[in-house]
Amino acid sequence: MKRLIMGNEAVAMGALEAGMTFFAAYPITPASEIMHFLAKEEGRIVFMHAEDEIASMHMAIGGSLAGSRSMTSTSGPGMSLKQEGIGLAHMMGVPMVVINVMRVGPSTGMPTLPSQGDILQARYGSHGDYNPIVFYPASVSECYVYIQQAFNAAEESRTPVILLLDGFLAHLAETVDLRSIRVPRKKRTLPPLGKGTRHFTGLLSKDGIPQTKDTEYYRKWYAGYKKRVERVADKYAYDSYLPHPDSETLLIAYGITSRVIRPLRKEYSIYRPIRIFPVLEERIRDITSRYKRIIVVEMNDGQYRGELQKILRRDILGVSILGGTINLREVKAKINELL
Amino acid sequence: MNSYKDYVKWDRMPTTWCGGCSIGMVFKQLTFTLEQIQMPKERLVVVSGIGCSGRAAGYFDVDSVHTTHGRALPVAEGIKRANPELNVVVFSGDGDLTGIGGNHLIHTSRRDTDLTVICINNEIYGMTGGQMAPTTKRGAVTLTSAAGNAYYPLNLQGLLTSVPRHFYARSSAYRINHLQKCIKEGLGWKGFAFIDVISFCIENNGRRLGYKNGFEMLDKLKADFKINTDPSGPLAANELGIIQNENQKS
Repeated sequence: MKRLIMGNEAVAMGALEAGMTFFAAYPITPASEIMHFLAKEEGRIVFMHAEDEIASMHMAIGGSLAGSRSMTSTSGPGMSLKQEGIGLAHMMGVPMVVINVMRVGPSTGMPTLPSQGDILQARYGSHGDYNPIVFYPASVSECYVYIQQAFNAAEESRTPVILLLDGFLAHLAETVDLRSIRVPRKKRTLPPLGKGTRHFTGLLSKDGIPQTKDTEYYRKWYAGYKKRVERVADKYAYDSYLPHPDSETLLIAYGITSRVIRPLRKEYSIYRPIRIFPVLEERIRDITSRYKRIIVVEMNDGQYRGELQKILRRDILGVSILGGTINLREVKAKINELL
Repeated sequence: MNSYKDYVKWDRMPTTWCGGCSIGMVFKQLTFTLEQIQMPKERLVVVSGIGCSGRAAGYFDVDSVHTTHGRALPVAEGIKRANPELNVVVFSGDGDLTGIGGNHLIHTSRRDTDLTVICINNEIYGMTGGQMAPTTKRGAVTLTSAAGNAYYPLNLQGLLTSVPRHFYARSSAYRINHLQKCIKEGLGWKGFAFIDVISFCIENNGRRLGYKNGFEMLDKLKADFKINTDPSGPLAANELGIIQNENQKS
């Protein structure tokens, strides 16, 4: 049976389907519907309306440590506040999911028009070196799928996995047949608190004992952590590629932007990463090598373009759609200016 | 039968704490209390924040969590809500719990989440060298109040008893029997129990204030505070005791 649901609802439903039993958040548009939906589940799941974004992030960490699949959701300004806890969860190895429904920033910016301005924040927003897995769906049914995959990747990598949405996708209503979508669920990987003598700490530690002056050990630990995440990320290498036989130009877009530019597939090849971090390096290197020109279309000032330039070490053109409004005509005009 | 020694991770000894520090004294009283009530180890989780007191979590031979600065309470609350079977003890300092974590203190106590919080209140940020804390006395000279602290300290008793149902105990590192009683009652209290343990920091506060050693500071606690076993109202500034209100109706 098909149902008309919006992106935020699909995320909440997908989380329940993934076995999430702990949710903590703080109200913020355009992410609040996730919270409203899950508030009705209170009793069946632990639902915490926290005093702030920092608390909700850390409650979710506690919930996960105690044995629940846990999640928090927010938008850009709240994401900035969660970054402290994201670093902690990476250091302690806590599986959980963080949702960021992006709106125009910086700061309060343009609530609640959509943007893709937190791409780099999702990758680099916490402190120190870390290597997050980030998914970005482009339809309501994909919201339902990739929230579940985010939980799976979180379990396997024992890290906080980020699901990015934008205000557009979050509020987009589409008909979806949820029952036709089945995502196998990964087992819990972190034994719950109690019964053990483990010590979880944000300090660099070895078997629970802080190693705060051991450079060699840090290097070894970091290499192992990075490899662990990459190995898991490899299993979740989602993307989509629509090649056009006559096109010398490849358009790269993700999330809602990829939806908007879809009609351009009649003229250009289009590549869309879904697991946007770690960047699908080999795949993108391979595909882009076939094209004379690469244009990244995104609702920010070239954030993902910079990342790709760094990896491909070649000039990449960019179409930036700023200020929370996007339409195909404007994208087309800007592409034509570049060609 | 668990001995108090069974609650300690002996391979982590000696602790990081300085000679003459009061944190170890409180740590020890907590382990004594755990023995007295025969707390099952598999049902106990200790959570701490950042600072000298925050290191305590790692010295307990149970599952423990050493969180980021100020976030012991939300992590502890997440643990307790996810698994109400666990006894969750938060062991942290005044700067961590009432300064950077102050907002969480207001709201975790308001939600009356079943946690036992042991706050090592030494009136200073010790680990970072001795900067003034929200609990530092007015006029006290610290690294960040060179001309004397211009502000009044936080009224923790007032804050924590402002919620209809509450458990606020004030004890000191000197009155160890009283401290054990407070911890025991706090652990038995179904709801948010806050134990404000008046402590001291010799190395990064006491010496600047003119104390020669930890013992002198301990002696000062003995002289300054007296126990009120049956407080009829709020505790006076120099009193130790337990203020609790079941407030079943609300």
